[in-house]
Amino acid sequence: MSVDIQLAPVIRFDPGEAAFGSARGGNLAATALRAGSLIAFAVILVVFSLTAPYFLSLGNIGNVLGQSAISGVLAIGLTIVLIAGGSNVVTGGIDLSLAANMGLSAAVYATAVQLGYGDATAVVAALVTGGLIGVVNAVAVVGAGIVPLLATLAVMNIVAGLELVLTQNTVIPAATPLLTAVSSSGPFGIPVLAYVLLAFALIAAAIVQYTPTGLRLYAVGEFPDAARAAGLAVRRLVAGAFIASGLCGGFAGILSVSNLSGSTTGSGEMLLPVVVTALLGSVFSRRLVPTVIGTLLSTLFVGFLVNGFQLLNISSVLVSGVQGLLILLVVSATTLLRK
Amino acid sequence: MSQENSAQGVGRRDLLKLSAVAGAALASAGLIGSRTAAAEEELSLKGKRIAISATGTDHFFDLQAYNAQIEEVTRLGGEPIAVDAGRNDGKLVAQLQTLIAQKPDAIVQILGTLSVIDPWLKKARDAGIPVLTVDVGSTNSINNTTSDNWGIGKDLALQLVSDIGGEGNIVVFNGFYGVTPCAIRYDQLVNVVKYFPKVKILEPELRDVIPNTVQDAFTQITALLNKYPEKGSIKAIWSAWDIPQLGATQAVAAAGRNEIRTYGVDGSPEVLQLVADPNSPAGADVAQQPAEIGRTAIQNVARLLAGQALPRETYVPALLANKQNVNDVSKKLGIG
Repeated sequence: MSVDIQLAPVIRFDPGEAAFGSARGGNLAATALRAGSLIAFAVILVVFSLTAPYFLSLGNIGNVLGQSAISGVLAIGLTIVLIAGGSNVVTGGIDLSLAANMGLSAAVYATAVQLGYGDATAVVAALVTGGLIGVVNAVAVVGAGIVPLLATLAVMNIVAGLELVLTQNTVIPAATPLLTAVSSSGPFGIPVLAYVLLAFALIAAAIVQYTPTGLRLYAVGEFPDAARAAGLAVRRLVAGAFIASGLCGGFAGILSVSNLSGSTTGSGEMLLPVVVTALLGSVFSRRLVPTVIGTLLSTLFVGFLVNGFQLLNISSVLVSGVQGLLILLVVSATTLLRK
Repeated sequence: MSQENSAQGVGRRDLLKLSAVAGAALASAGLIGSRTAAAEEELSLKGKRIAISATGTDHFFDLQAYNAQIEEVTRLGGEPIAVDAGRNDGKLVAQLQTLIAQKPDAIVQILGTLSVIDPWLKKARDAGIPVLTVDVGSTNSINNTTSDNWGIGKDLALQLVSDIGGEGNIVVFNGFYGVTPCAIRYDQLVNVVKYFPKVKILEPELRDVIPNTVQDAFTQITALLNKYPEKGSIKAIWSAWDIPQLGATQAVAAAGRNEIRTYGVDGSPEVLQLVADPNSPAGADVAQQPAEIGRTAIQNVARLLAGQALPRETYVPALLANKQNVNDVSKKLGIG
């Protein structure tokens, strides 16, 4: 959050009174929107608490946190790329290979277990897989200068293809002490995955929002020319963001193997929800920029929506439509208030 | 040659007889099934909340079973909590977790990969919620309502072997051996083929996929037909369900290789239509009765909650539809 305060004055230094005025107006609108989105979140929680049985129970809230762990880790990885690449959806930072990365890392983990390796080896193998995918993305974007949207799209296809080759499109079951521990319940009957998500988000937030490296990431994403002029290693920071995102994919893969007792097909379906979650995360930040905590909040927002709908026993054919409508409302509110 | 034939012990005519007997047995079983259903009108789920968890509803089978379950719970006076995971395992697990927190009077799980769902079915059982399943056998399920997949696999394999005259190469889609019904049907095919030394399953076996099952099967079969261009080099194509069969049938027809016959399971209306078309390569499709399976599963829930004991498995008869009897079968299923 200190980053927000650091960067905000930069806009005010712009020459011309008009810019000064619009910046102030923009800040007001942003504050209103941030408050608005948090209030909307709170209202939805209250409505569900009053109408949906079991919603407010500790077990249920733990469930939602646990169910959000995989998409949350992926969305946080994507957030780092959005920060370093700038949040223009077409030309800015994006990592479309994340969901496929999770699928391949999970497949690598499950295959390692099937081959008789232990948890330690499998964890390393999955993280190395994720990291390597990040390196390939970094080379394509920073080295070859391909637009991230296209570079990571191509890598996504390669990774999905590798997963098919490795798994032959079948489910690979895996059961190990670590996987059982992660998929079980921890203190207060809350799933271990819930604690994993919170711990991961806090560590990521600490690095991204409160260290000089994090501040540089924002500088590179928002004002690449200024960052370069100030002597920042722009290319290295962007490459680092893709590698960090790749590692998040590998980590999410491990969580997925644990949650699904093995590696399963169809990981690619996670992509769009994760992209939506990461983009939606901006409305939960003070300056409408991607932040780790904002992304965590938007992950939980989506998680609570899905959970609440099921508890309210809304017909399954309506759920994704209503969900999409709510997200559209929040996003259009952002866009309108930004003007 | 003739010696070999007698050594096999089963000739083509015997096979035809066998499949006719099997068909008759199935048909009479169907009559008995509907009679017992009508006799148990006093079942009730009044005041009960019954969770229905579907792996997906994008196939004829799941959709029919899912809708029939919801209707049956309502008809018996209960409240259905129905969730559909859209064939996404992550969503399926999340929905099961939430269902456990909702503490329904029973959970009925339709299909799903056993290794993925079983830990959560166990957690439901540990939480004191009775779990019943449709078409997926699990040690954590009190009762599994399903078609007799051993019978289905055997009937389909015998029909196939009979149609190709007990010799030739067959192509097999085996992408879902992890799904119990598919595994049983495949094993039965292998069991039958074992006794026909001149029937050979081509290696490598093909892998059917979800999604894009039809297009993918079409592409794979088209490529394979190019690899085996001679007429008669492939006699039949087998798949454990009938959506790959649909793509395979289209590919065979498009390549003008109508000497090849295709075989599958589920009784999807579009495939039954192909079987009914005398010019189509679709040879046979074993039709399950998904709506009847769904209703039976819910009636089992009602029996269980009324204190009755349930068998491990309840079999709902399946109907083999071939070129000769497909119209009767379609009529029985209420299609077309």
